[in-house]
Amino acid sequence: MIVFKTFLRIVKKCIFPIILYTVILVLFSSINISTEDNNMNFTASKPDIYIINNDKYEGITKSLIDYMSANSNIIELKDTKEAIDDAIFYRDVNFIMEIPVNFNEEYLKGQELEIKIETTGDYPSVQAKNLLNRYLSTARIYQHLNLNEEDLIKKVNATLENKVNIEITSGLDTSALTKTATYYNFLNYAFLAGSIYVICLVLSSFKNENIKKRTLISSMKINRFNRNLLLSNSLFAFILWLIYVILSFILVGESMFSMHGLIYIINSFVFAICTLCIAFLLGNTIKNKDAINGIINVIALGSSFLCGAFVPMEYLPKSVLNMAHILPSYYYIKNNNLISTLETINLINLKQIILNMLILLIFASIFIVITNIITRKTRN
Amino acid sequence: MKKIIEVKNLTKEYKKLKAIDNLSFDVYEGEILGLLGPNGSGKSTTINCILSLLNFSKGSIKIFNKEMKPDAYEIKKEIGVIFQDVAVFDELTVYDNIDYFCGLYISDKNKRKEYIEYAINLVGLKEFIKFYPKELSGGLLRRLNIACGIAHKPKIIFLDEPTVAVDPQSRNNILDGIKKLRESGATIIYTTHYMEEVEMLCDRVIILDKGKVIASGTTDELKALANIEEKISVEIVEFDSKHLKNIKKLPNVSEVTYNNHLLQVIYTKGDNNLTKFMDYLKKEEIAYQKIFSERPTLNDVFLELTGKELRD
Repeated sequence: MIVFKTFLRIVKKCIFPIILYTVILVLFSSINISTEDNNMNFTASKPDIYIINNDKYEGITKSLIDYMSANSNIIELKDTKEAIDDAIFYRDVNFIMEIPVNFNEEYLKGQELEIKIETTGDYPSVQAKNLLNRYLSTARIYQHLNLNEEDLIKKVNATLENKVNIEITSGLDTSALTKTATYYNFLNYAFLAGSIYVICLVLSSFKNENIKKRTLISSMKINRFNRNLLLSNSLFAFILWLIYVILSFILVGESMFSMHGLIYIINSFVFAICTLCIAFLLGNTIKNKDAINGIINVIALGSSFLCGAFVPMEYLPKSVLNMAHILPSYYYIKNNNLISTLETINLINLKQIILNMLILLIFASIFIVITNIITRKTRN
Repeated sequence: MKKIIEVKNLTKEYKKLKAIDNLSFDVYEGEILGLLGPNGSGKSTTINCILSLLNFSKGSIKIFNKEMKPDAYEIKKEIGVIFQDVAVFDELTVYDNIDYFCGLYISDKNKRKEYIEYAINLVGLKEFIKFYPKELSGGLLRRLNIACGIAHKPKIIFLDEPTVAVDPQSRNNILDGIKKLRESGATIIYTTHYMEEVEMLCDRVIILDKGKVIASGTTDELKALANIEEKISVEIVEFDSKHLKNIKKLPNVSEVTYNNHLLQVIYTKGDNNLTKFMDYLKKEEIAYQKIFSERPTLNDVFLELTGKELRD
């Protein structure tokens, strides 16, 4: 009991960094959760365009302008070169098209005059360009049929009216799950930093050569002492993990009350075991308390950056991800990302996730073996 | 007296170096035994072997007539150790530190509280119980180190050079505390290379050198080994070296030296040597400023036996 009591007294002394890591977790997660919207619903979007018509508003010209107006937002601008350039520069419009004089007349004769365009080069401008190309290529097809003007316009309009209905069959709330993954990815840093800091500090105090000597000559059985110390550290790691899981329910909400939420929790628990083993290894190796902060920065921050806790894995270079394979955080974060896209939960879909969890447990076993070797060597 | 610790033929070897060489001695109940020797003489190694912190090559160690082993927890209950280096938690207050080390022996909370208060009072740390080690001076830190080692009221206390690098006031406080511990019935094994402390505290002394016992006994018994009865020192500004031969011829004088205006005369035996020597100075009209007489010290014993100083 005295070991546990002393453990708590030391933890009490380093409560500030734990609070700090938790605040960082809550703050970063909240910002990301509130800004991120990755829902797979589709909403129609229209580019902002400006049309300069030098032709008469009739025939093909009228039909083209009507089609573009129906599928875009027509922006009103002063008809001066300066106003048009400014609008493009400030992105008030995405696309400007200038219909030449006699466009309708020449088109019916089979000659297509060039429509001048100016674009901002962004996605909406490409969308507007596609609209224009779609109209012109459709009209070109019907033109070959030698139809009169009225029929040609009718046919083109009828063809362009055809629309494809897209139905999303997935019932997965990807937005909520991605938010949950974001939170649990951030947890990689907070949990690693918090547990390594406390466990290393406590172990380096208890394992201080002179204090250890006093403990060894005391009447407390050494096995009992080691067991108490191990349990105290494990209990601390468990409580910290539990706090972070409870926080995920508060921050992310509904999606945590699902099978996906449960898998996130299990994955983080396996990672917590692995982290505990890392902390034990470091605690038994580090003699200098001043070195703890530096080591936390290297391990917690380093693995968070390399494994995609802060920056999504998709944006990381392949070489970085290849290197990240040697870190437990990689498998933990990879699992979080996999869970967020898990359509149906069955053994086949869970196979990769379970495999990653097993890799985490293998990492934990390796750390335990190394710790034992170091401890025995030191004891001898 | 009852034998508490029995060390027989203890030998500790580090590869080719013999740190302890066939060491044998006993410790009796209620005594303060001093282990005196220069640095590297094997004092701390002996203590570490007795405490089962180090494996030894040969010999046997019995405490309370039972073999001392790393798992002899019943024996360990009765042992307290104060190491040379301060062994406390930086993150705990004075009170919490003593509570932890006492708690390794005593699980009863109320009993522990009573014992902690006893230890705090013994070392005089009552005003500092809420202080952290970093807020304490070197002397106070040493006192805390002692309190941590004795809070569980052990019957045997090992003190391994507890006054190294301590200011005189704290040193006196520590020595007073050790006397109080003896008065309370504890048996103390005290290692040091400060002979004054040994002379002041110890009932018996074992002088170690190169892992061997070179002499043992009470301080008087040991001083008798030095073959010195008295050492007379005289400050003389102008001294004719021709007197050296004459002084050497005086009865019972074994050695005469004159260095830096200080004349030293060593007598092997005899009574009233100082008075007789002052009569000689008067007769020879030798002017002197100060004159004083000293009894032999343990350093003289060590010098006599090994040809070197204790603090070499």
